[in-house]
Amino acid sequence: MEKHQKHNVSVTDYADPKIDQLLKHTVRNQLESLLKAKLTTAQRQQALTQSFVDAMSLIFSTTQATHAQLTAAFEAMYEQALQSMSMAELSEELLTRQYIAPTGLIMSPYNSRHTIKDIYRIQGYAKGIDKAIRGMLSHKDSVTILYPACGPFAPLILPLLSYYKNQNEFNHEQIKVLFVDTHPGAIVTLKQLIDDLQLGEFVADIIEKDATVYEPEQAVDLLVLEAMQHGFTREGQLAIAKHLVKFLTLDGWMIPRSVSIKGMMIHGETEYNQQWKDAEYCHSDHLRDSALNERVELGELMRIDKSALLEMTEIELDDDIRVVAANTIKIPTGVEDMSTRILAIYAQINTFGEEGLDQYDSGITHPKPDMNFYIDARPRELEHTHFVANSGDTVQFYYQLSGMPGFVPVKA
Amino acid sequence: MEVKYALFSGSCLCLTAVQYLLQRGQLSCVVLIEAEPNPDLVQLQRFLHHHQIPMLQYKTASDDALIADLDRLGANSGIAYLFKHKLRAKLIDFFAGDVLNIHPSALPDYRGPMPVFWQLKNGADTVRLTLHKVAEQLDTGDIATHIDLPVHPFDTSQCFHQKIAQAVPALLEQFAQQQAAGTLNWQAQSEHIDIDGEQCEPRYAAHVQVEDLLIDWRHHTSTEIVNLARAANAELGGARFKFREGMLQLMQASSMECKLAGIKPGTILELDRIKGLLVKTVDGAIRLDTILTEQGIFDGYRFAVLFGLEPGLEVAASSEGRM
Repeated sequence: MEKHQKHNVSVTDYADPKIDQLLKHTVRNQLESLLKAKLTTAQRQQALTQSFVDAMSLIFSTTQATHAQLTAAFEAMYEQALQSMSMAELSEELLTRQYIAPTGLIMSPYNSRHTIKDIYRIQGYAKGIDKAIRGMLSHKDSVTILYPACGPFAPLILPLLSYYKNQNEFNHEQIKVLFVDTHPGAIVTLKQLIDDLQLGEFVADIIEKDATVYEPEQAVDLLVLEAMQHGFTREGQLAIAKHLVKFLTLDGWMIPRSVSIKGMMIHGETEYNQQWKDAEYCHSDHLRDSALNERVELGELMRIDKSALLEMTEIELDDDIRVVAANTIKIPTGVEDMSTRILAIYAQINTFGEEGLDQYDSGITHPKPDMNFYIDARPRELEHTHFVANSGDTVQFYYQLSGMPGFVPVKA
Repeated sequence: MEVKYALFSGSCLCLTAVQYLLQRGQLSCVVLIEAEPNPDLVQLQRFLHHHQIPMLQYKTASDDALIADLDRLGANSGIAYLFKHKLRAKLIDFFAGDVLNIHPSALPDYRGPMPVFWQLKNGADTVRLTLHKVAEQLDTGDIATHIDLPVHPFDTSQCFHQKIAQAVPALLEQFAQQQAAGTLNWQAQSEHIDIDGEQCEPRYAAHVQVEDLLIDWRHHTSTEIVNLARAANAELGGARFKFREGMLQLMQASSMECKLAGIKPGTILELDRIKGLLVKTVDGAIRLDTILTEQGIFDGYRFAVLFGLEPGLEVAASSEGRM
């Protein structure tokens, strides 16, 4: 920071990135303000860092920040991060490439950019990671954090590191982070952002590799797992966790400490529309009793934590599909309108201590409807993807690790 | 007696036949279809007018006036090519049975109005161009001669119709030579066809309905989708698939290898500026090369970026409406 503040200003210091047209279109508002403000590189970096620190300051403030305050702070952080992304001069190829890998979806930097605006996800994780780091540093000198599938902004760690540095809480001798992502566009963007935030001192390494095969050379104290979509589907979160958990030290922790994935039979209209008609925003604080009472909970489909991951056994099916067994549930009887209900799967995440994310707090805990699961009803046209059962039946859930991860129910 | 043909058609694609017959001094007139003016028909009329080739109009109501005009022009034989009306007995009788039809299939297989579409859809690698007598039952008359045309894997219906048009003079010349040499052997059509050693009912090349153009992601293989798109390109507007509330038109697709397991057919696999937009099929994947929408014509990549198709989404989500 010091070095940049003393830097002599010349014409070439002003922001004039060679930006891909697609990104330029997307971030034109942010760029306009950047160019209009005639900021030097040092000034832009300072504004970026400040936005990260401000967002975290609100989260760690002793007084509860309002949703509006948090939204404004996270929006500012997002805009500043986008400016940094535009400085990375990503090609259109790198910006937009998105694909399904053998163990799940790899998002493009273009579509990953919004994750840094996910207020309650970042809050739940940052508070949890902070507690874990403090816990570890209370009995050891340094913590090595592994952050696989970190994406272009590594949003669960970089704001926290900016905050630590700004507040002189912890230094680079105490915290080292290994960043891993398979998308080259994410790596280019991440390097730019780390440079801009001047957080290079905290970086153990930035590795462009598929997290499901990456093997860290050093022992890992904290494994931060972010990559997950709602209903624990689409991305290869379980495959990554299952592979990397074995590199944790004996007393190492996975963040989140546990993920509980539950199922419920709902009426879509009540759950997804009526419940939120008058709500300012989607959050577990705003769940309505009327909707909660209408749900028929099926119980926990799967629980993921360090010990469960270490014990988990893969089953390989004939067509190269790999699954792990999840829980068995009994479909309740006596629910008259069961045939009109749909299955929804949601996650409750405990990041560390009492910190976490409940349903609807984030995209990753938003209940995901499964339209192929029929109880006491039959689809108009039966497909092999449909699951049809009756009240009182016992259902064994499996979690598919290949292709598009997600739950597969089978009659027990 | 000198042969003078009346050529029955409604498309500029018949101009190769017109020129062939003109060169041989065997063209009496061209009988045009009864239809609302369309660009193809108008262009044909202009050409004929410019070259002072007599034009007669087919009327679905009656053949009397047409027969009188044909008689006046000295037409004593007929050739039908891309002529959508069924010729009635009275007209056939006027020519004493000397009316030929050019049909692009190995008759009796693919009798009917859309043989090229159905053969390309079914992945034919050769299409037979058959010259046969017109009988009262459509496409059932005795066969005079034929030539086989190879189908290029990239051929669309439109392309292939042009290839057929280019081959028509050769077919007519072959017929003329065989006739002159006395080697012409009229073959009655069989009522069955041989497919892999089995006697089967001939396939019928019906008019194409929109349902025939729908991609069924659950069952169609990559090759079947690729073939459907090119068979329906361009006149029929391509293969159709549902995305969100709309129906998209796929004009061109390419088959791609995909070894990923556990992915539902119809799921978007990849979006890449160079590789394009890839969708999972039951046996691999296809790249959506060209998509026609109300907003314009796009390659798959640009379409996906513009309209938010992302890998992981399904282009044909099932069980809609349960919410």
